[in-house]
Amino acid sequence: MVYLKIKRQDESREWYDTFDIEQTPGMTVLEALFYVQEHMDGSLCFRYACRGAVCGSCGMLINRVPRLACRTQVGIAKKENTREGSGDIFVAGQKSESGEENEEILIEPLPNLKVIRDLIVDMDSFYNLVDSIKPWISSPEEHPEGGNLMDPDMRGKIEKYTNCILCACCHGSCPVAARDDTYLSPATLAKAWRMHLDPREDDASRQERLDFVDSESGVWGCDLVYKCVAVCPKKVPPTLGIKALREQIEKKKEN
Amino acid sequence: MIEHDIIVIGGGLSGLRAALEAKRNGADVAVISKVPPIRSHSVAAQGGINASIGPDDSWDSHAYDTVKGSDYLADQDTVEILCKEAPEIVYEMENWGTLFSRTEDGKIAQRPFGGAGFPRTCYAGDRTGHNLLHTMYEQVLRAGVRIYNEWMVTRLATDSNRCTGFVALNLLNSELESFRAKSIVIATGGYGRIYQRSTNSIINTGFGISLAYRAGVPIQDMEFVQFHPTTLWGTNILITEGVRGEGGYLYNKDHERFMDKYAPESMELAPRDIVARSIQTEIDEGWGFSGGYVQLDITHLGKELINERLSGIRQICIDFAGVDPIKEPIPVQPGHHYSMGGISSGKDGLTPLDGLYAIGECACISVHGANRLGGNSLLDTIVFGKRAGEHAANAVKSIAMPSEDSLNESLTEERSNIDSMMGDGGESFADVKDELRQTMQRYVGVYRNRGDLETGLANVKALEKRGENIHVKSRVNAFNMELMNVLEVKGMLDIARVITEGALVREESRGAHYRTDFLERDDEKWLKHTLAYLKDGNPKLEYKDVTITQFQPKRREY
Ligand SMILES: Cc1cc2nc3c(=O)[nH]c(=O)nc-3n(C[C@H](O)[C@H](O)[C@H](O)COP(=O)(O)OP(=O)(O)OC[C@H]3O[C@@H](n4cnc5c(N)ncnc54)[C@H](O)[C@@H]3O)c2cc1C
Ligand code: SF4
Ligand code: FES
Repeated sequence: MVYLKIKRQDESREWYDTFDIEQTPGMTVLEALFYVQEHMDGSLCFRYACRGAVCGSCGMLINRVPRLACRTQVGIAKKENTREGSGDIFVAGQKSESGEENEEILIEPLPNLKVIRDLIVDMDSFYNLVDSIKPWISSPEEHPEGGNLMDPDMRGKIEKYTNCILCACCHGSCPVAARDDTYLSPATLAKAWRMHLDPREDDASRQERLDFVDSESGVWGCDLVYKCVAVCPKKVPPTLGIKALREQIEKKKEN
Repeated sequence: MIEHDIIVIGGGLSGLRAALEAKRNGADVAVISKVPPIRSHSVAAQGGINASIGPDDSWDSHAYDTVKGSDYLADQDTVEILCKEAPEIVYEMENWGTLFSRTEDGKIAQRPFGGAGFPRTCYAGDRTGHNLLHTMYEQVLRAGVRIYNEWMVTRLATDSNRCTGFVALNLLNSELESFRAKSIVIATGGYGRIYQRSTNSIINTGFGISLAYRAGVPIQDMEFVQFHPTTLWGTNILITEGVRGEGGYLYNKDHERFMDKYAPESMELAPRDIVARSIQTEIDEGWGFSGGYVQLDITHLGKELINERLSGIRQICIDFAGVDPIKEPIPVQPGHHYSMGGISSGKDGLTPLDGLYAIGECACISVHGANRLGGNSLLDTIVFGKRAGEHAANAVKSIAMPSEDSLNESLTEERSNIDSMMGDGGESFADVKDELRQTMQRYVGVYRNRGDLETGLANVKALEKRGENIHVKSRVNAFNMELMNVLEVKGMLDIARVITEGALVREESRGAHYRTDFLERDDEKWLKHTLAYLKDGNPKLEYKDVTITQFQPKRREY
């Protein structure tokens, strides 16, 4: 047995519902939500697509930690304290004192984004932040014969950042995003660094992007608390990207 | 009513590539998708994309492997296009920013895949789909294509053999809206979720294929369903063929490398249909582990190689099965993976319905025939996405916008259809869906025979009856998931019916379609494509010839 305590919300109200479900071996929080949706309350809504931690749809707050519901095992989450009532956002689950199963899992929508209904938040505002840095390579129309060459070491450096699935877990954990909705977000800045590093990007676009993130809503807004790095399900290190961007900006200014 | 010259339904690789090309050719184009494009199933592709860019490789050797892999059911003229255009497609994606894995000297690296005579598969670690889809989306943003996120298309509108647009449900508020266009491109992906065990995203219900089928378009070769040999036991998340490409071994419970019984020459790198059947046989004959799986072992490859080239797989095994493949073998079983069949379409994606194109996994341009080779379907989505986008952009220059009548009519019909489904009582979609998925898994799976297929068909028909009586109890407007699911289950039933009937009638074994009561391929009777038309609520089967150009059918051995 496991109790899912789920935060519900529509245009006019906010409340919590508790569902008491049969736990099957290997069950994930996403599967548990489907069970509720299909058998107990068809009005419950949440986002999903791949169920394999690659599409980034199912970010939510589980025991007050931003994470992917499809990758979180019910068996693990129910051994944690739910931290109910705490206003804080944490970066990892906390084993319950006794180490015993707690039976309850607290499920809430990702913070720092407007809630549309239940566990579904307004992702458009997050995507708009990401898109504002023009997140694409401005390569010329014609490619070189046989493709561009790229040093495997450089590829390794960029790869850390391309792994981002835009799940917004980092955004949900970020204290700057909590107080300033113009802050570009850890994910956006990580992407800016990914584009900056890429040897295929043209210099003018690289400079334009660097100028754009050189602001309080950009790299200078970051508190350097590394919460985004800690929660990222894809091991992307946004804070390291932000620091690297700061260095680039300062270097350019010195010259 | 919303209007564009061209609207692409689906934001996966094929849909985005079509939209991008149409935009580059000056058309007013929009994409509509039930999930934001980067959440599409294409993001999950792991292993890679084929192109004969190696110094000793050639497009015709790629074409030969593809045709042989297809068990000679692929149309050789479209295969030629696929293989000839492959290098350009890969270089183009590279130039747009795809982070392909590299050789020491900085070139695009290639790995061996099953059924290929050459290491021809270009890859980005084991996250090829993720890298390609994000790159493609970035370029679509750069081009400024309009995107309608989180809208589900529920019905195509037609007017005397012309597609005039469609009706779609805005998931945000459950409002229906009509969309009018000179050309429509369907790029809605596969139907994996009609099987109980599938590697596909949960959103892959095949509803887009049924949209076309219900609008009178034939669907082709649906009985050819690919089962991937190695899906993670339990969740059926894919364990890429790249794992075997990098040197993984398959073992049964007696620690025998059993592939030497079935494909002694190519062992673990035989094509998917063969490896899937071999594993299933081991399991069925009691040589599997209890619970129904075998082991895929890469512990001998070493930590470094695994972390470098298969890190995503390692993480999947840890997260979803509690197994670290550096230390222990991975438990695997066959599962549904890919749809060779789909909406019948030609080399530019055109379907028999004017103004309608179909591309990607929902389409059957017939490059995969009876069995697709790994790495050919990402290629298929981009090659034919580009061609359809270009063709549509040229075509709309001389086509007038259709009249509004058919769209207004469709909108009214769809409103009353949805109204009639709302209410308490009746059947629940979840029960019908679960039973359908079990039926397909049990009776229309890796091995087939008359008795099973007849039982499967009877079950599907009974579920169709029950499907008429499904009700939506939830009255919420924002993200009414129950409503979406009910609409989709009806499409799943259409597809299941066509697959099962096609499989029952085709009395031979070819590629992924394996009949234990007809063990041989029968070119005399069955070297032909199946076409299914919807007539009075039932599929009507017709057949058409396979296009053969340079490779004459011969026995397929590996
Ligand atoms: C796990 C896995 C790994 C794979 N790995 C490889 C590989 O390594 N190499 C390879 O070549 N192939 C691989 N494949 C196959 C390949 O990934 C797919 O065939 C391909 O990505 C399909 O792309 P698509 O554009 O046709 O559809 P998808 O990417 O599935 O996109 C479908 C789109 O349609 C939209 N849609 C669907 N229905 C509607 C509707 N009614 N209204 C509005 N929108 C709708 C969806 O939102 C989505 O945007 C893999 C497949 C799987 C399952
Ligand atoms: S950086 Fe990590 S947490 Fe943030 S959006 Fe990307 S994948 Fe999610
Ligand atoms: S459903 Fe795709 S990340 Fe969870």
